[in-house]
Amino acid sequence: MDKISDYILKAGTIDRRWIFLIIGLAVLLPLFFPLGLPIRATNATQKVYDAVEALEENSKVLVSFEYGPSTKPEIHPMAIGLLRHLFTNGHKVFVTCLWPDGQFMADEALDEVAKEEFDLTYGEDYVILGFRPGNEAVVKGMVSNIRKLYTTDARGTLVDNIPLMKNINKVADFDFIFSASAGYPGTVEWVQYASDPTGVPLSTGTTSIMVNDIMPMVNSGQVKGILAGMPGAAEYEALIGTPGIGTSGMDAQSIAHLVIVLFIIFGNITYFIETQRSKKY
Amino acid sequence: MIWKRQIPILIATVIGFATLFGWFIDHPGIESFVNDDATQWYDILASFAIFLGALNLMKLQGKKVFKQQSGWQYSIFAIGGFFFAIVAGFIYKGNDAVEWGVHVTSKGTLFKWMFDYMFTPLSATMFALLAFFVASASYRAFRVRNLEATLLLVSGIIIMVGRVPLGSSISSWFIMYLMVLIVSIAVNIKLKDKKITFSTFLGGVLIVTIWGSSLGWPIDQPGLFYLPILQDWIYNNPNVAGARAIMIGIGLGIFATSIRYILGIEKSYIGE
Repeated sequence: MDKISDYILKAGTIDRRWIFLIIGLAVLLPLFFPLGLPIRATNATQKVYDAVEALEENSKVLVSFEYGPSTKPEIHPMAIGLLRHLFTNGHKVFVTCLWPDGQFMADEALDEVAKEEFDLTYGEDYVILGFRPGNEAVVKGMVSNIRKLYTTDARGTLVDNIPLMKNINKVADFDFIFSASAGYPGTVEWVQYASDPTGVPLSTGTTSIMVNDIMPMVNSGQVKGILAGMPGAAEYEALIGTPGIGTSGMDAQSIAHLVIVLFIIFGNITYFIETQRSKKY
Repeated sequence: MIWKRQIPILIATVIGFATLFGWFIDHPGIESFVNDDATQWYDILASFAIFLGALNLMKLQGKKVFKQQSGWQYSIFAIGGFFFAIVAGFIYKGNDAVEWGVHVTSKGTLFKWMFDYMFTPLSATMFALLAFFVASASYRAFRVRNLEATLLLVSGIIIMVGRVPLGSSISSWFIMYLMVLIVSIAVNIKLKDKKITFSTFLGGVLIVTIWGSSLGWPIDQPGLFYLPILQDWIYNNPNVAGARAIMIGIGLGIFATSIRYILGIEKSYIGE
């Protein structure tokens, strides 16, 4: 028994580079050899799907991009999934960005979905208003008067010359808001300054780490569901029936989580043996 | 002194009160100020803040290089990156077919190239490194030292496994067998009696097996031991309770600080 304990303790002093290597392999291998694990939608994801489904055709949906390349693997799949869902149901999409790099993400997502997949017309089916500095002041400004804040769109076209912007003057003119958010400014600001005061329903997609902050608002009904990190994106892809980047990343995330859990358990076994020995001697 | 002290405090007080009253008084003048003018002022000030921030960044990094303080080599990259972005943003577009301003996100421009091939991979790499450090840190630091640490560890494991598809593939009966094993180990450590340990283990296995057989081994029943349902419960109950308490605390803190600013008690913004 002591020999086994010695082996475990020896393994417990493993160089951290071995841990890095194991994690690297745990992420890489499932990407090359997918396991196809079944994806089950949680209530929070189902609520987002139901909120979009409840919209009447031709609804005006404001989608805000508040993330950058660092959180792209988590948020981008859900943004793409949501855009697919919105365009499939025949809605009009208006894009704003509270983060400067959000505009790059919006461009990329709309190129992929609106342009390549659905062959939609810019200015008639969707529009990118772009980034404005000012964080929550931008949200508040949009609630009051979009045209004061955005005189031109992201392509430099006068907002007054964009057909889709006809009769759009403030947030209350939209039927639905979706915030694809990786932090501040993001979902919380949209709830506080736009959705709550105007009553326009809002759903969100966030990084896993942000879910704790948003969950109270989901439970209170202020936010109509939440797509929580990459699992949320994969669940949404499953609901709309179009597997994408979120789904393919889930096997890798599953195995990586499992490996980390095994590390934690193993670490605790060594800790237990150490404490038992120190008590003994 | 009056320009440095009394006037700024007066401006903060008047604007603070006007903004506060804007929420409660139905007057078009105040409403328009709060909703339109004040937010636009904020936008203008935020733009100036970016400019000041850039100048400050250059000042600090430049100082580091000139004085050759520790890590000054990295500052060269910071300064180089800053000027490269200035060139790509204001001086050289790289694609004459695109208008100034729009060039920032247009294909074929230097700025877009910089974003796609420098900023994106660097930013993604920094974030991705977290996975490796989390794994290493959890291995070394996540220990069952006391009750609180144990609760944190168990709920952490449930969330980690329950959130991903792998969790939905793990039957609640497997978790129950695992529980029987853990309880048996705990009994053995506590009582150090092989007979009691064996009886506990055998009794537990028998109960789970008979119960499972009678129900036909449904993967998600009983829900108490099904990881996705369990993690949903953790998210929606203990987590929400804690998060709400924190949110209310922060809200009260913001309120108290705002009142201090408006009444001129808090003067840190003028350097006092």
